[in-house]
Order: sequence, then C-alpha cells, then structure tokens
Amino acid sequence: MSQALLDYVLAGEHHAFRRDAADALGIDNLAEYYRAAGLTPEERMADRFERLCRAETPRILPDEKICYVRTIKNIPDCFTPDEWDEIRKGHFIHEIGYISNLSPDYAKAISRGLVALREEADEYGRRAIDNIIDLADRYRDEALRIGRGDIAATLERVPRYGATNLREALQFFRIIHFSLWLEGNYHVTTGRFDKYIYPYFKADMDKGIYTRETALELIEDFFISFNKDSDLYPGVQQGDNGQSMVLGGRDKNGREWFSELSELCLEASRNLGLIDPKINLRVSKSTPIDEYIKGTELTRAGLGFPQYSNDDVVIDGLVSLGYSPEDAANYVVAACWEFIIPGCAFDVVNIGALSFPKVIDTVLHTSFSGCNDFDELLGKVRDEINAECDSITSKIHDLWFVPSPFMSVMLDDIKYRNFGIHGTGIATAADSLAAIRKYVYDDKSITPTELIAAVDDNFEHTPELLHKLRYDAPKMGRDDDYVDGIATSLEDMFADSLAGRRNCEGGIYRAGTGSAMYYLWHAAEIGASPDGRRRGEPFGTNFSPSLFADTDGPVSVIKSFTKQHLGRVINGGPLTLEFHNSVFRGDDSLEKVAAIVKYFIDRGGHQLQLNSVNLETMKDAKLHPDKYRRLVVRIWGWSAYFVELDPEYQDHVIARQEYSI
Amino acid sequence: MNDIFDTADGIEKSGRADGFDGIDKSDKFDKGEDTHEPRGIVFDIKEFAVHDGPGVRTTVFMKGCPLSCRWCHNPEGLSPRPELMVKTARCRHCGLCTRPCEHEDCKPYGRCLHICPEGLISVVGKSWTPDELAARILRDYDFLKSSGGVTISGGEPTMQSEFVSELLRRLHGLHRAVETCGYCSGERFTSVINECDYVIMDIKLADPEAHKVWCGVDNAPILENFERLRSSGREYLVRVPLIPDVTDTRENLAAISEIVGDSRVELLGYNNMAGAKYAGVGRVYTLPDKKNREIDLALFKHAVLSR
Repeated sequence: MSQALLDYVLAGEHHAFRRDAADALGIDNLAEYYRAAGLTPEERMADRFERLCRAETPRILPDEKICYVRTIKNIPDCFTPDEWDEIRKGHFIHEIGYISNLSPDYAKAISRGLVALREEADEYGRRAIDNIIDLADRYRDEALRIGRGDIAATLERVPRYGATNLREALQFFRIIHFSLWLEGNYHVTTGRFDKYIYPYFKADMDKGIYTRETALELIEDFFISFNKDSDLYPGVQQGDNGQSMVLGGRDKNGREWFSELSELCLEASRNLGLIDPKINLRVSKSTPIDEYIKGTELTRAGLGFPQYSNDDVVIDGLVSLGYSPEDAANYVVAACWEFIIPGCAFDVVNIGALSFPKVIDTVLHTSFSGCNDFDELLGKVRDEINAECDSITSKIHDLWFVPSPFMSVMLDDIKYRNFGIHGTGIATAADSLAAIRKYVYDDKSITPTELIAAVDDNFEHTPELLHKLRYDAPKMGRDDDYVDGIATSLEDMFADSLAGRRNCEGGIYRAGTGSAMYYLWHAAEIGASPDGRRRGEPFGTNFSPSLFADTDGPVSVIKSFTKQHLGRVINGGPLTLEFHNSVFRGDDSLEKVAAIVKYFIDRGGHQLQLNSVNLETMKDAKLHPDKYRRLVVRIWGWSAYFVELDPEYQDHVIARQEYSI
Repeated sequence: MNDIFDTADGIEKSGRADGFDGIDKSDKFDKGEDTHEPRGIVFDIKEFAVHDGPGVRTTVFMKGCPLSCRWCHNPEGLSPRPELMVKTARCRHCGLCTRPCEHEDCKPYGRCLHICPEGLISVVGKSWTPDELAARILRDYDFLKSSGGVTISGGEPTMQSEFVSELLRRLHGLHRAVETCGYCSGERFTSVINECDYVIMDIKLADPEAHKVWCGVDNAPILENFERLRSSGREYLVRVPLIPDVTDTRENLAAISEIVGDSRVELLGYNNMAGAKYAGVGRVYTLPDKKNREIDLALFKHAVLSR
C-alpha cells in the first residue's frame, strides 16, 4: 500500500478540501427553493445531484491510484419539514426516506459503461449519467494538470465505457460508489466484489501486468478509498455505514467460489486495519479449512470481521421464501447482515422489529395467570406474536422512497420487494419462559402472581428470587435443550406468523434474528423480565446469549444457537463470539479459531461474527462491564473474565496492551 | 509400601497454611456417599482452551493441590474442599449476603449464597461422579474429537487420581491430556498418566531447598515422577513458569535443562495478574509486580517462550 496515502487519509488531511453545501451551492435552503419552484421529487433529486456534481472540486490525494473524494460536506434535504409531514400523512416512510441498504449491480455498469446504460435510462437517469461523466472529465483534467497521466488515462475510458483492466474496473467502482452516496442514497453495499472484479483481475494477471504483490498494493489503495468520505455517511454510529463486501460463496452452478482475488481482499483488509470495507465471508460445509484459516487471519487483526454466513442455510432459506435458486446463490449482505440479492431486489430488509421480550411481558400481564400449564402459556405467546406481527405489518402501507435516478440506473428489473423484520431479545425471551416453566410449572416454587409482582417491582423486594432467576435458572448458551427448545419454538412462531403475509409492495415478509440498535431500544420499552433482567438492562445483541448468562464457553454457546430452524428466520442476524487477542498466541492458533468457526457452520449456524478484542474494547469494557461479560482475557497461562477482575488488574491488562503496541 | 504421601508427616512437610497434606482420603469428598464410585471435586470447566495441549480442548480443573506455590494463579484450586469465592471487582457492598438466612448450604460459609444481585458469591468446587463428568465432556464429543481433546488440570489431578483415572477411562476415543505438578506417589502418577495420550508436567525449581521454600514441598517425588514420565513412552511437554528472581534465574533454568535433557519445554512468562483471584478466596498474594529478565532459550535443547 501507499503508506503516505494511508497516513494522509487517517490524519483526515483531505477534510481541508471540504465545504459546506450551502456555500458550495450558493443556496441556503435548497428544500425551500424546490418547494417554491414547485419541483417534483424526481426533478429535485436530479437537480440536487447536478448541483452537487458541479460544485464538487476534483482533488487527487498524494500517491493515490483510485481517486474521487468528497469536497462537499453535507447533502441538503430535498424537502422541507412541512413537506415531510405532508408526505408522512399518506405514506410509510422508512428511516430518513431516501433509498438505503440495497446492493446495486456494479457488475453491469463496470462491464458496459455509463454511455451504454444511458441508452436504457429515463430522462432523469440520463441527466445523472451526464453529470457523472462531466465530473469524471474534470477529474481527468485535474489529473493532467498535476501530472498524473496514469489517472487521466483511466478516466479517458471509465466511466464512459466498460472497464478493460483491473485499474479501470476499480476506478469505475469508485465513481459509482461515490455518485450513489452523493445522490443521497445511504448504506450502499458493495456486493460480491471478488466475483464481479475477478475477470479484470484474472486478465491482468494472465497478461503479467501485476504480480501478486503489486495487485495487492492496488487493492489496498482501492480499499483506502472506502475510508475517505465515510465519516460523512449517515448512520446510527460512526462506522455504521453499510460498506459491506462479500467474498467467497458459491456460483450459480453450486461451485465453490474463492479465488486469489478473494485472498488478496482478505489480505488487504488485514494489512490496512481500517473499518471499511467490512468483510463478509460466505462459507459452507464444503469449504476447506484453509479458507477458514485465511478468514481467521483477518479476525486476528481485531477488526471484528470477517463475518461468516453459511451458504447451506442461507441459500436454502431464501429459496424457500421464494427467491429463485440462481438469485439465492448470489446473495450478499445489505449493510450489516441482512441478506439481499444484488441488482434485482428492492427489499427493505430492516423495516420493522419484533421484540420477543415485549411479547413475553404482554402475556405476563394479560393471560399468564389464567394458564394451567406451560403449553397453554406457549399458546398465548403464539397469539401475542401474531398480534404483534399484525400490528407491525399493518402500519406499513403506501411505502414511499424519494426516487433516486442514478440508483435506478444501477438496478435491474426488480424481482423482489420483500420486507425484513428483525426479531430482538431471543435469549431474554427464551430464558424468561424457561424460568417460568421451571419455577412456576415444574417446581411450583412460585405463583404467577408472585412472579408478576416481583417483575413489576424490578425485584426490589425479592433479591433471592432475582438471584435464582438470574443465575440459577436455565439460560441459552449452555447447550440446554430445556431452554434452547423454547427459542426454537419462538423463532418458529415468528416465521409462522409472517408466512403468507403480503406486504404493500406485493412482496413477502422475512423473519430475522438481527437486533440492530433495538437491543437497547426494545429493552427500554419494558421493565424487568422473568429471566432476572432488571429494568434498564439491555438484551444481548442480535442472536446471542443474555449478557449475564454464565456459560462454559463457545462450544456450548454455538450448540445453543444452532438448534433453531435458522433457514426459516433468514433475514439475517449473527451470533457474536468475543475472544481476547491472546487466543492467537501460538503457532497453531489460527487453526484453533478456524476450527470453532467451522464447527458453527457444520452444525448449521447461519451467521457468525467473531471479535478479537483489543485495547479500546477493554477500555470500554471497564466503563460498561455488563456489555462485555463474555470477554475473556489471557493473563499468564490462564484465562479470566475481564469484568470479574479487580480494577487494578483490569488496568494492568490495559496497561500491558498499551505497552505492547 | 509405605507411601510418604499418605502419612501424617505429609502435613508438616507440605507447610501449607491449612495444614492439608494433599491427600484426603478420609472424608466425604473422596468417596461417594451411597456408591463405591469415587467422586471428584471440580472447580471449573472451560471450553475452547487453546493453550492446554494440542488443538482446541475442554479443560477440567480439579480442586486441591499438594503444592502451595507462591505464584499460583488459581488459588481456588489449592484447597481440596469446596470453598466460598467472592468476586470482589463488581461488588456494590449492598450487604445482602451478610444478612442471616435459612439455607442449609449457606451455614458453613457465614454468607448467603443465594442472594447476591450480581452473582458474585459462589461455592467453588462441585462434586461429580466420573459418569456425570464424562457425560458433560462427551456432550461435545464431535467437536473435541475433530479439533483437540480434553485436558484434566487443576489444582492437581493426581490428588484425585482414582476419580481422574475413572474419568479418563470413560473418555476413550478423545485425545486425553493431563496437566500435573508431579507431586504424588509413583503409583498414583502412573495410574493417571497410563490413561493419557499427553502429559504436561511442571518443573519449577531444580533445587530441593528452594522448592520447599517457594512451593512448600520437596521436589524429589516430582523428579522421580518425571523420570517415570520419560520412560513411559508417552508424549509430554515440560512447563516452567518463569517467576522473576525465583525460577527465571540462569542457574535454575540451566539445572532444569540438565534434568529435562532433550524434552520439549515451554517457558511461561510472568506477569502479576497471577494474584487476581486471591482476594476472592480470602488469600493474600505476596509476590511483587516484576518483569522477567531476558531469558536465554539456548539453555534448552527444545524450548519455546510463551507470554
């Protein structure tokens, strides 16, 4: 890689080029201007994109081979707040109303060129393309001006025409990606990068244009480009920007796809240590251990990826939801972990979320006392899940997105308009029901009335019951069928409830195991829960054990979380395992960590995230110990749970890490 | 044969604070109440142990050790009896555990075990039959078979040799390892290693007097058992904990090198985290916070250094 470029970008030196949109466009309130002019949404988006493209100043950073950097900080809204109020009266608006979480068809554009796509576009699409080409020409002129003939030569070809080599393909990608964000789309995902770039890579390698090393350098420089503007991208937190890249997996003939380019991408990510692009690795039962080991080398870097997804489970699951086998085989992740098909899916993968613990809370306070046995209680839970799904889905009608002319160019014929619903707090809910089953129905050591009163009181006056529920009751993560089976029932009920429902776009609903930020939001909606979770304590993230579940380790956790019919809740949402970096001590550590990932996949897990925890995490763990209950630190020939160490020892480990950097 | 480990002498020899000789055959912890099956006291089970032998292992920590090494990092493994453990780090000092309670099982400890809102108070040391523990380990047979195996550690596994041998017999088919300090009768030592595929044995100090001072016992039985191990033909690894100015001296390492010859050796670097759990079991950690000196690996024929 170019160290100079990396340092430059990490230092944010290019931020000096940034201007505020109001200054750059010369219009203080663009939305008001559009309202006064009476422009249609399409006209506004086309006009805004045109203004932004024209106001962008071509800047080429030192040493970079793949150019384009944002020089306008912010993208002003196209509609006034009053107009939004009006729009929301008649429509369901998802998040901020602009298109997000889609996987554009990069392959098509890169191979054919924008001039060819222009022929097929509508007037707004053509206008967008003209503006993109115009900006590219200005970049070319800037390159010539500063003596970067190499960049100018690339821009002579792309984006007008299809790429003919690797460098053109990467630059083309960058221009598209840059333009989609500038148009106002967000969480623009990268798709199966190693698949659609491979032909260019292969041709150049065959011609001897690159060695493995020089190809790696180019890919590294390209990866840096994902980090130039990412602080400008909207998200819940910095880094929540959806620049996910999917590597590996099967091709449409069912053959394993993992090339030298896939390897180089893993290597580039590892060498750079940057949070973008976020790497996902598609694997399956037939994936050789070597590929897991290559993925594990990246895990060791401590970035929290690759995230693994299991082709065996995901493809079958998508097919049973109605995706064609060819499309399902081509799945990628949209933004975080929601599965989506590139180009042909206009799925809204995160349109709503079911809170399992809220379902339990409602049943607890309505019908629990009248139930004679656990099965009857489960029946009430099923009814309540159905009622919640009714409530969630009935709110989604007349969905409307701000039209995105260039995004439309980048999509193909849309075959899928499905909606994804997250399912949050599964462990909290399953643990709660297991505690009820055990203490109310099996042991009969507590009555429903007593339990409800204790939960409502946040266990303030029943510390012994709290202790029992929290630490003695069955928990997911211990390979205990008593509670894991309840989770299976809950997920099945969720999938059953959404099955057969049609959404307002004519598509279906997909149940999922993700939580996104709902593990905090949903937790705040209810008080304490029968698993001993106190008011205000969050759920586990995504598809993971409760934060205070004491487990023997990752084998039991994996077993607990692979028993469910995961192909039925395939909207996405990973199990998360956290390890301290020190598991990577020793020559064969990669094989060991790879073995546990493979075990998860072989058991039919759907999606897995591993964190090799580092200094920053431990500092955070010190401030928020409950978030990191399963963080294991290697001390000296032995391991301990970080949060259980005395503060001075925590400081010691932190200090040790600091010294070792 | 008169087994020195079973005599009353052992108590004095051990020099342990609790006067325990390391071999407790007399009470309920060694024998099941209703059956003739031995019961084992285990203080922890850890999955995904990646530093306890080849591959990925489940490690079982047996409670009770005849040594009392001043640097021991598992103080809850020292006493063979179940004992109270309080994780002090997150204690909010709410006082609930000190209120009188009616639970039978709390009586020996003077604290209520069933009330801590943070789950910080527990009795470490759970009693298992060989069948129960084997079933717990074999639950993960498919994973352990393909990825590693099982390691019996401690504490000191040979202190509960009858149980450990019974357990290991039930784990045939898995790769079985034991981590031992080697301080026990030859009979016990042999009975345990005979059931193993791999032995990790600590040799801490070559000098018998120093060994008594720092570990509480003479090292002669350890060195005898090491010879038994060498001649057993079993695969093994020698581990040397590097304690600043105690075991990491050139003299000690050179002397250990003499003893172990061409054996594979792992030298474990020190840090003061060893004391982390002492307060939890009411003990005091006495070693200073120091770093190891430069270690000359060339002293050994086959050694690696782990931090």
